[in-house]
Amino acid sequence: MTTEARLPTRQLIQPDLPAFDHGGLDRATRDALAELLLTMADDEFVIGFWDSEWTGIAPMLEEDVAFSSIAQDEIGHARLLYEMLARLTDGDADRIAFGRAPHEYRHAALLDHARHDWAFSIARRWMYDTADSVRLAALTSASFKPLADVVAKIRREERYHLLHLDVWLRRLANGGDEPRRRLEASLGLLRPDAHSVFAPLHGEQILVDAGILAEPMPALARRWAAQAEHILLGELGFESAAGVGDVVSRERLEPSESFRWLWGEFTSVARLEEGVEW
Amino acid sequence: MTPEQLSASEGRRDDAGLLGEGADPGVWEVFRQEKDGEAMRHAGNVRAPDRDLAMHYAREFYSRRQESVRLWVVNRAEITDLSDPDLLQPPLDRSFKKPGGYVMRDKLEIAKERAKAQGQAETKAADR
Repeated sequence: MTTEARLPTRQLIQPDLPAFDHGGLDRATRDALAELLLTMADDEFVIGFWDSEWTGIAPMLEEDVAFSSIAQDEIGHARLLYEMLARLTDGDADRIAFGRAPHEYRHAALLDHARHDWAFSIARRWMYDTADSVRLAALTSASFKPLADVVAKIRREERYHLLHLDVWLRRLANGGDEPRRRLEASLGLLRPDAHSVFAPLHGEQILVDAGILAEPMPALARRWAAQAEHILLGELGFESAAGVGDVVSRERLEPSESFRWLWGEFTSVARLEEGVEW
Repeated sequence: MTPEQLSASEGRRDDAGLLGEGADPGVWEVFRQEKDGEAMRHAGNVRAPDRDLAMHYAREFYSRRQESVRLWVVNRAEITDLSDPDLLQPPLDRSFKKPGGYVMRDKLEIAKERAKAQGQAETKAADR
């Protein structure tokens, strides 16, 4: 057997996440930042895998490629955030991404549903992407520079996602009886979870005080709701869509059956042999 | 009905109508520029029901790996097609319109001699 050191499978010409120093962060701020990164990474990771379920069966071939590519982008964003989290906590990004039990994931309740039909996937992704963009905007001037830099990169890709989802939302809303009915039903089903992207974090006040997060989550939720209602109620004429419901916590003892199934899928390769390098 | 009760197997076939009633996934021709200053070249085409999606799909198919700096997306119906052989391939000989139709070398030599002789004559006239 050879004893040569194995080369890493992926060698990027330019690393997306450059080396950074987090020595300046005190313990409480580091913990609060770790919590934020985990929730954001889990959100991106889970929606990336849900929407990948459309690969091969989207309404048309071109959309298949576009939607799958957007889903891949999200998994790429999750990778950046997991890697940053791993360096902050001396952990391992792959282990954080693939090595937890289903109930340990902190994705928003909005992302706990299966993909269902096309209208449902569009409604969910539109809600998520618009909410995520409000959250990212609140991090662009983060006092922790490595985070601000990563957020700036992510926002450049999210710009296209938002354009794409806006086209589809309007297409379904104005596309005749059946598309509009299906979209409205999906928006209604998702309504109770609409604000879950902004579920409170234990350390959010610490992040606000440290100049990392511009505003606390409830303020971001109100900002998003105003934007969403402007489009859904004002422009598209739905009667009630985003609403302000009770915020569903990210800490769920029991994730949905749908998520358990998805977890089984996305961890299936990693669980084949623990610790192996691919 | 909860989301979990919706069929998880709904896919392309069930949702085909969701492009919008009456939507025609027309064909859009895509041209790409690889570097600033280079010519736009035909890249291929995409199907899309409207201009916005055509732009998105062109971006996915012809620049998702950063291989273009500009795309032109043109609805095929907007392209004026000219392929009439009477106009493009006239039946009578047109070889005299091509530079290769002449043997230029001899004529060029004669012209050079004449220009030289004329130049010398003018110089002598000026000397006098």
